[in-house]
Amino acid sequence: MSEVYASPFFGIFLSIFAFETGVWINKKTKSAAANPLLIAVVICILVIKIFRIPLESYNVGGDLISVFLGPATAVLAIAVYSQFTLLKKYFLPILLGTIVGSSVSIGSVYLLCKAFHLDEAISRSMLTKSVTTPFAIAISENIGGVPSVAVAAVVLTGILGAVFAPLLIRLFHVRNPVAAGVAIGTSSHAVGTSKAIELGETEGAMSGIAIGMAGIVTVIISLFL
Amino acid sequence: MKMMYQIGILFGVCLIGQTISVFLPIPFPGSVLSMIILFLLLYFRVLKVDHIRQKADFLLKNMAFFFIPAGIGILSSFDLIRSSILPLLLIIVVSTILTFGATALTVQGVITLQDRLARAGKGKGKSHE
Repeated sequence: MSEVYASPFFGIFLSIFAFETGVWINKKTKSAAANPLLIAVVICILVIKIFRIPLESYNVGGDLISVFLGPATAVLAIAVYSQFTLLKKYFLPILLGTIVGSSVSIGSVYLLCKAFHLDEAISRSMLTKSVTTPFAIAISENIGGVPSVAVAAVVLTGILGAVFAPLLIRLFHVRNPVAAGVAIGTSSHAVGTSKAIELGETEGAMSGIAIGMAGIVTVIISLFL
Repeated sequence: MKMMYQIGILFGVCLIGQTISVFLPIPFPGSVLSMIILFLLLYFRVLKVDHIRQKADFLLKNMAFFFIPAGIGILSSFDLIRSSILPLLLIIVVSTILTFGATALTVQGVITLQDRLARAGKGKGKSHE
């Protein structure tokens, strides 16, 4: 049996099957909570646990999928390019928004971890939860966190952001699509951006810009931690 | 443009971004550098959006899919966070809501302020006439 799931086709097929099931459930229920990524991750984890498949075997195929995160982030440049007039017009609000947002993210995580008396290394891994994975790994290594915990915090934050973005837009009465996009990208990086793209071209582009800006702001703040 | 060219262009840009990121003194991900490089190539009209349109649409439309392995990777650190999983989830929820709200309200507030200043500026101009 191990020959079957040790091949790269296993991880790739399982991921596609789980994702398309998620997309199907999402279309059927029309509910934001039925997020395709969330459903796919749950299905894959269940399959891996029930059939006692080693994570390394899944990753033979999974790593091939992760390779595409690079190009998928890079092509956000097209969205930024087509929305460049908006970016120029609103550069100051976007910049201030990502600075305030990233500071609130790091500050609130720091205070809450203190309040719950969490382990120092785990707290430090949580500080980068709102920036995209490669930023989080690099920064958490520099400030004495555990990279694998940092990645877990990033992914949970991203899924949460993608699921709740439409609700948060209503909760905070965000009427401007520029503000909505920047908020999604700053709070929940590239995973949130995948939802922002669905909301509209402006939201997607602004969210994409915010990934890079929030990452840079967080790098700068982390130099003082 | 032929699909093979589109894939070649995108992976070429990513290779350059990754290479630059290795030599930078501060942590800066190759994927974000690749985004900046691709933007500059489009801005200076070295590339046209049509050169990479189909491949880019495919990646953007299915972006969430590429995060599945990272999500499943939570399993690898689960033993480390198992004992404090509830406070961690609570911290993530609260902090993400605060971050979203602070960012959105700042952007919206500054835009409103800019518009008001612009209008006040125009108003002043008129009163001088």
